[in-house]
Amino acid sequence: MIHVISAANRFLYEDVIERHFRLRHEIFVGERGWKTLARPDGREVDAYDNIDTVYALAMEGDRIVGGHRLYPTTRTTMVAEVFPRLASVRGVPSDPMIWEWSRFFVVKDRRDGKLNLELLAAVQELCLAEGITHVSAVMETWWLPRFQEAGFVVHPLGLPALIENQWTMAALIEISADTLAHIKSLGQITGSVLLRRGPQHSIVDRALMARRPATSNAA
Amino acid sequence: MVEYGREALDFIEGLEKLTSVDRAMNAMMAGFRRFGFETLILTGLPNPEQRFEQMVLAKRWPPEWFKIYTARQYDRVDPVVRLCRRSVNPFEWSEAPYDAEKEPGAAEVMNRATDFRMARGFIVPIHGLTGFEACVSLGGEHLDLNSRSKPAVHLMAMYGFDRVRRMLAPPAAARKLTAREREVIAWSARGKSAWEIGEILKISQRTVEEHIVHARQKLGARTNTHAVAICIREHLIEP
Repeated sequence: MIHVISAANRFLYEDVIERHFRLRHEIFVGERGWKTLARPDGREVDAYDNIDTVYALAMEGDRIVGGHRLYPTTRTTMVAEVFPRLASVRGVPSDPMIWEWSRFFVVKDRRDGKLNLELLAAVQELCLAEGITHVSAVMETWWLPRFQEAGFVVHPLGLPALIENQWTMAALIEISADTLAHIKSLGQITGSVLLRRGPQHSIVDRALMARRPATSNAA
Repeated sequence: MVEYGREALDFIEGLEKLTSVDRAMNAMMAGFRRFGFETLILTGLPNPEQRFEQMVLAKRWPPEWFKIYTARQYDRVDPVVRLCRRSVNPFEWSEAPYDAEKEPGAAEVMNRATDFRMARGFIVPIHGLTGFEACVSLGGEHLDLNSRSKPAVHLMAMYGFDRVRRMLAPPAAARKLTAREREVIAWSARGKSAWEIGEILKISQRTVEEHIVHARQKLGARTNTHAVAICIREHLIEP
């Protein structure tokens, strides 16, 4: 099951969140070689891991086997801060109904199997339930045909660029019931893939509250 | 300065409105011609038991070149195809390594291509979810390929491939395989070659291959492995 962790219920998951930071370090720094994310404490944490982050973590018993995270585009995002040139054609998204999707990972012994598809279904199911209409993502271009095969509708925000020697692009992915149905059919997934424990809140409402107020000109 | 980015993204949006493979291919040729490309092929990469021509989704190739390429099975010695299998990143044909002395077949393909205005080229590898391999390969004589135009061609090629793939994939209702097609796929799942299946079922190898092609078309599968996977998943054959 894929656990949904947000501000309201993260107190139930503090240990899990910690462990997943270490797992992210093993995978993104250790395996994928994203050296800029390396930290001496062995925890892969960045500016987009905070109280506004929503994590989806796949667990088998106590073991974390995969996951990803969502971050409101009403706050400063990776695309806005780090990769704005990847969105130079269509612009950087900023909307309470558009969330930035990142850090998609699966542990080695679960790769290219059903878990992959369940994690893809999870982002669609969660966003559908919460009224999120799109997710933005920065991804290596080799992800594009995989998303397309899974039935995702992916809109590029700009041209790909070489980033640390990997062709990378930014895109907006549509959230829809059709897409969810397509992946579930592909992965023979029946029912929900999500588990929501403890107190829940509306994710979009939090994003609306996070919107920066317009600067006042009052002296 | 040429607006590569805006044009490429507008082109991609325009693809959705096209309703036939032919129209999509025409639009792609028009789009790619701006970079000097004159030939185009969208194809899966064959495994050792498949023939190249079975894997082609759509093409704008000189017919004579296609005849030669398939008759001489150039895909088996083509250094570009070889590198494509191992690459996630697009590359120019000239970047595909081969030893002209030790690999005369490779040298032959590269040389003969120039007879058909395919002196230079660019190939975009496409790797799917279930391990399926495909590519979009573009050729021409005088190309406008630089660090700004390459990403545009890269993106346009990936979206073009996806558009054509979706148009060729049959709707779920049309997926019904005949008993014979299921039989052939079942034997393929057991590792039998087309020739062996012909021997087992007492039909010609050619007929076996036709059943496989029809089955793959009905299932929307790019490779035999993919077809087998779909059949097992949908309980059409025993695992």
